[in-house]
Parts: sequence; C-alpha cells; structure tokens
Amino acid sequence: MAMNAKQCACRWVLQHQHKLKQAARSCHLKVKEVLGIDEYRNYEYDNEYTFKYSELTTTLAEPKQLRAKPDVSELKFGQIFTDHMFKVFYHKALGGWQKPEIIPFENISLHPAAKVLHYAVELFEGLKAYRGVDGKIRMFRPDLNMQRMNLSAIGSGLPTFDGSELIKCMNRLIQIDQEWVPHSEASSLYIRPTLIGVDGTLGVAQSESALLFTILCPVGAYFDDKNDSVALFADPSYTRAWPGGCGDRKMGSNYGPTIRVQRKALRKGCQQVLWLYGEDHQVTEVGTMNIFIFYVNERGERILATPPLNGLILPGVVRQSILQMAHEWGEFQIQQRTITMNEVIRLQEENRLLEMFGSGTACVVSPISSIEYLGRILPIPTMEHSKPLYNRIREQLYAIQYGHFEHPWAVPIDSVY
Amino acid sequence: MALVQFTITKVQPLFTRMTMRHFSTPTKTKAANTNNIRKSVFISQSNDVFTNLALEDWLYRNYDFTNHHIMMLWRNDPCVVIGRHQNPWVEANVADLNHITEKGVQLARRNSGGGTVYHDQGNLNVTFFTARDQYNRKHNLELIARAIFREYGIKIDIAPREDLVVRNAKVSGTAAKLGQPNAYHHCTLLVEVDKVDLNQALHKHEDGIKTNATKSVKSKVLNLCEANPKITVDGLLSAIGWEYMRTPANSFKDGGKLLASQQNGFQMINPTEQWFPGIADIRDTLQDWEWCYGKTPKFSVTKSFAVPTRFLNSFDSITENLKVTMNVEQGRISDVTLYVPPGLSSTGFSGEAKVITSLKGHKFTEDAINSLEWSLSGSEYGLVDDRDKFVTECVRQVMTSV
Repeated sequence: MAMNAKQCACRWVLQHQHKLKQAARSCHLKVKEVLGIDEYRNYEYDNEYTFKYSELTTTLAEPKQLRAKPDVSELKFGQIFTDHMFKVFYHKALGGWQKPEIIPFENISLHPAAKVLHYAVELFEGLKAYRGVDGKIRMFRPDLNMQRMNLSAIGSGLPTFDGSELIKCMNRLIQIDQEWVPHSEASSLYIRPTLIGVDGTLGVAQSESALLFTILCPVGAYFDDKNDSVALFADPSYTRAWPGGCGDRKMGSNYGPTIRVQRKALRKGCQQVLWLYGEDHQVTEVGTMNIFIFYVNERGERILATPPLNGLILPGVVRQSILQMAHEWGEFQIQQRTITMNEVIRLQEENRLLEMFGSGTACVVSPISSIEYLGRILPIPTMEHSKPLYNRIREQLYAIQYGHFEHPWAVPIDSVY
Repeated sequence: MALVQFTITKVQPLFTRMTMRHFSTPTKTKAANTNNIRKSVFISQSNDVFTNLALEDWLYRNYDFTNHHIMMLWRNDPCVVIGRHQNPWVEANVADLNHITEKGVQLARRNSGGGTVYHDQGNLNVTFFTARDQYNRKHNLELIARAIFREYGIKIDIAPREDLVVRNAKVSGTAAKLGQPNAYHHCTLLVEVDKVDLNQALHKHEDGIKTNATKSVKSKVLNLCEANPKITVDGLLSAIGWEYMRTPANSFKDGGKLLASQQNGFQMINPTEQWFPGIADIRDTLQDWEWCYGKTPKFSVTKSFAVPTRFLNSFDSITENLKVTMNVEQGRISDVTLYVPPGLSSTGFSGEAKVITSLKGHKFTEDAINSLEWSLSGSEYGLVDDRDKFVTECVRQVMTSV
C-alpha cells in the first residue's frame, strides 16, 4: 500500500479504515491464536466478538434506592454491596453481545432451565480497586484478570469479549460508587465480574445466551492484627483439581465442592484447607490461594518455590506479581516446580524451611503457622523471623496498590479514558 | 503494523517557557476545562448538626474539587446555627434553648460568616463545593430556583442580597466560605419548619448588648409547603440533586437526563471517623464551648434595676437605678462594674467587691451565677445583708435574662 507523499495521512487512514479495522481484528485474532485459543473466524459486526464501552448507558440510582453505609467495622468481606452494578447480555440469536448498562443494584431474573443453575456454566473473577494516599482510586493489574476471564469463558463454552472494554466499563462503575471506599488507608473495593450461561434449555450443550455482570463490595482494613497466621488442614483423600480438568480456571464449579472440606478443617480448629494431589501428596493450593515456600537448600542457597502452572493450579495475579517482583530483586532463586508433603516435612525437620504462605487478592499474603497432616501437626516457622519475606512482599504490593509511588501495575481509574 | 509514522515536533515546552515570564507566581495548571467536571450528590446519614458541620469542613479541607463538584444535602435535629462572627446571646434565646422541643435545641457556630438560622427536620441544607475559581453563588441559587419550579411549580425570586424569596418572605438563608484551593456556598431551605419553635429559639430581647459582632437581619420567613402543600424534604432533596446533575457547571443549558446519567449520582455518606479519618477531631472542636461561645467577639451587657425604697437612706433622694455593666470577652466575664445611685449606702457593699471579682474569668452562663450564690452563702459573710442580696440578684438577672 504505497502512499503518495502529498496525501495527508488522515485522508489515507479514512479511506482505508475498513482494511485497518480488518487488520486490527486479525491482530486480535492472532493474539488469540498465540494464547492457544483455536476457534477464530471472520467477524462481520463488532458485537459478535465484544461489547463496547462507548455504547454504555447509565441509570443512576434515586436517593431512595441507595443503601445507608454501615460502620467500617461492619464491612465484612462479601456481605455489603454498593448501589450500582454492571450488566451486559449476550444472545446468539440477536447477533452476539448487546448494549452494556450500569443500573441500580438489583436481583437477576432467570429462566428455571438456565444452564448456570443446572450445569454450573459459570465463571468469575476477583480483583480490587484501592483508594491511594493521594485520594485517587487504582485497579491492580486488571488486564491479567481479563485475560484469565476469557480463557475461563472458552473453557465453559461462554462468549469471549475485549477485556479493555470491560475494564473501561468497570472504571465507570467504580467512579460512580467510589464513596463506598472509606477515605482511610487499607480500604479497598472488591470487584466481582461474573459470566453465566442463561440459555433456558436443559440440554448439556453450549449456552446460546449469557449474562456478564459486575458487582462491588467495600472491604475495610483486612488484617487488624498483623500477626494473623493460619493453621492448615491437609487431607489427601480430597482432591480439588486433576489433570485434564479445569482446576486452572476460575469457575464456580471448582469452589462449591470445597465447602464441606473447609467445614471439616474448621471443626478441627484450622482456618484453611491445604489441597494435596496425587500419590506423592503434592502441595497445590491453600484455601482459595496459591502457595509459596521459602527455604534453604543443601548448598545453603535460599529458594522461593511455588507449584507450576501444570493445569492443577489457578494462575493467580498476586502469584505472578510475586514471581515478577522476586525476579527483579534477584536476591534468591525462584523455582516453579512440584512440591510434595514429604519435602516439606524433610525441610522442616532439617530446620531449612523458612516460610510458607498463601497468596491471593483478598489479603495479598497469608502466612502459615502449622499444617495438620495425617494425624500430626507440623509447625511451620513462618512467624519466627524478624524480617520475613512474606511481609516484605506484602509491604511492597501495598505500596504499589495504594499509590505510594507510580507503578504500571496500578493505574488510576480516571486516566483510562 | 506501522502503516503510517508520525513525527511530532515538541513545540509545547517553548510556549510554556515564554508564558512563564509573564506571571510572577506560577498558577496550578489544573484543568479549567469544565467538560471534565463530574458531579456527585452527597446525602449525609447524620442528623447531628456538629457531625454535619464537621463533614462539611472535612470535605472542604481534604477533597480535590478540580474535576469533581459535590453538592451535600443534610438535615439536622432542632438547632440554632450562628455565623462565625456572631454573638449567640444576641441571636438566640440561649437560656431557654434546652426547653424548646422535646430534646432541646442545640447551638452551633459554623465556619462561614453571615446570619443566624434555625434548623429542624423540616429544613434542608444544601452545600455546593467547588474549587475556588469555580465558585458561583448566583448559579447555585438559580439552580435551586429552577429545581423547585420544575418539580413543584413554585416561582422563586432571587432578592438583591441573594436571598431566595417567595411572596416577599424568605425561604432560604445563604453563607459561604472561600479559601484556597477550595470554596463552598451553603444555604438553607425552609420546607416545613416549625415556626413556633423557630420564633421561640430566635427571640431576641432588646437587652442592652453592645457588640461589634455580625448582627442578623431579621426577616419574615415562609415555609415552601405554604406555597405548595405537596412539597416534602425528601422530594425536594431528589429534585435539587437531579437538577444539579443535569445542569452543566457553568451554564444553564439543560443537559437533561443524558447529562445527569454521565455524573456520579447520589451517594449516602456515613460521617464517622473510619470513613473520614480526622472528622472526629473536627467535630469535637465544633461542639466545644470554647468554639460555640468562646469565639464570641467581645461585648458588654448593661441593665438597670430600680432600687427598692427600703434600701434608700433618706426619703427625699431621687430614685435612681442601680446599673450593672458586664464585659464579656471570649465568652468569659472580664469585668463587672456597678453604677451605685446616691442614697444607696456604700458601707454595706464591702462584701460585694469580692463577689464581683470572683465572677471574673467565669463563663458567661449559669456557672457564674452558681459560683456567685455559693460564695455568698459561705460562712465568711455570715448573715447576708439584704442589700447584698439585692445587688447579687441584679447581677444574676443580667446573666439569665439575656
């Protein structure tokens, strides 16, 4: 496509905009290909492959629809929701994604045969927005959650979308409900985008209609006592994820069956479940978090290790952030490899185990103080160090999230437009 | 796919260097572009005047209003709110406030200047927060007038002193605080206020007070419900909020529902310490006696009392009055002087000097009187002379009848 030197670039762009759009789409599709998403086709209309922020309509709540704000101490995780929500439907029969909207918070009405109710055709995400020290609100790495959400969608047979459009819509939603974030530090807004299959037919087949919605929960200071460590319960007779399954996707069907095991752990006086897999009792995840161990190897080197993304592990955003940060620090080796209970026990008996902690959006890191395993309680010395790694990680991530300094991982919401 | 490459020459830095030479003080280069301004309407969950004034002050001190304008809507349980430089004893019936309405009437001093107003649940307060350079009182009042007309058909006139007036009676009082970088303009709206309580609380005695404090200009007031019985505080709150959001920041070109839906909408606000760190301290200051009464500009009170004949020494003395003058500074009695008429023997008053000096430094309230009575009934004086009792009774009356 040779360009006449005298032609204005703008005119050229306008004349070739159709081809440019095609190029943009094929770029998007090539990205999908690289990510390993095999289905791609030529789209005739935009709404076949995504909804758009530019078509978002907003209905603001009337004063009488608002909920009174409780005291910050009553903001327990996931129990209080904000005044508005985001919703967008997908209907294959109507050409794909419909117009997105922000509306006052309300219940959802479903056909009784909706696939989400029968076959758990559902996926969700969890991320947070933080009110920084400068008063601006920042989301933490939403692009990673969007990537993960689209992968989960493909796994559930649900439609994919352009993550950057959802980020813009969520920005607007947070902007409207931002007074639900207390002005004190250590407060955040938990963001829950969810995608469900709502097709009202009982066949176990791809859902032809879907609903993507996002709700927000204000969260007060998470840890009052900074020394809140957790005791784990590990029982190899329970399996959370298996090869060839979907344990590496954030789907509701992975979490429902864990509730009864969690209750068993609580009855034993523990706080979380340590999920084991296989004959060799591999350590996979803790509760709904990824797991890290920090130890000294036989040569006296310090190693930070975490299970690899082999299909059993959810690719956590905090997990990835920790690995990237540790890599930048360059102070110790980082390994993504299988870790077994025997190794943990051996390290602990030889006094080479330094720390074990979980990582997740809710509390960044959660230090582990003991594991109950096959009838014995294994103490973990995480809390016994003066300058533990988990604390350094937590402080660094807090500093980024609360805007102590500018960082590409936490972008203020107003600047995305 | 780099189909087209642009090279942009950096002209911008040249311009800023040139313009900088014309200004002696660098101004903040914030967006004065009013298209960027988003509006929120905050509804306070509290009915306590001190909490709400503290919230107002917190927002004024801590928020960045460059691209975000806020309207705060609040209601208080019965209270009298005086201006920053006013005298509560002149403006309100301080001694009786506790006995008006079931729970009594509070007294608060706000940070902005202006006159005294009475609040109860039939009154709606509106505060407009902006950056200093976006402050526009006329715009705000016009906006309220439009909201009321659009929803209730009441025609409101804006009087020369920027009061909102219906049928020549005031329905609103206005005050403002301008600072850097923020400013606010607030006003009251009488929707269905209890006028009997209002008059009792604000009833001023003509009682010989000399002061430089700002005096309120008393006007005839009207409740909006007298113009349209359908109006309620909740309804008005909603109407003003929507009008605020559908009107652009600097003009009256109605943006309709579309513009309103682009704003940030209504928000409930819980004005407690954990939501707004620092607000508890502000509230404590506002509620303190030192602020409400202690900040009164200095004034003097003079009262005269007819001397009963039995205290006069001779029958042909002209009945003159005993005059008591009390100087009050920072809410405390700084001096008490007596004009003693001839005929009232001075020998009987040797005790009263001490009585009077013991008053100095006391708060100009019942406390001082109690101390007065206590010191009088003390054994130092034994049986108190009737004349002493008369004088102290006069002094007491000066304080309680203000």
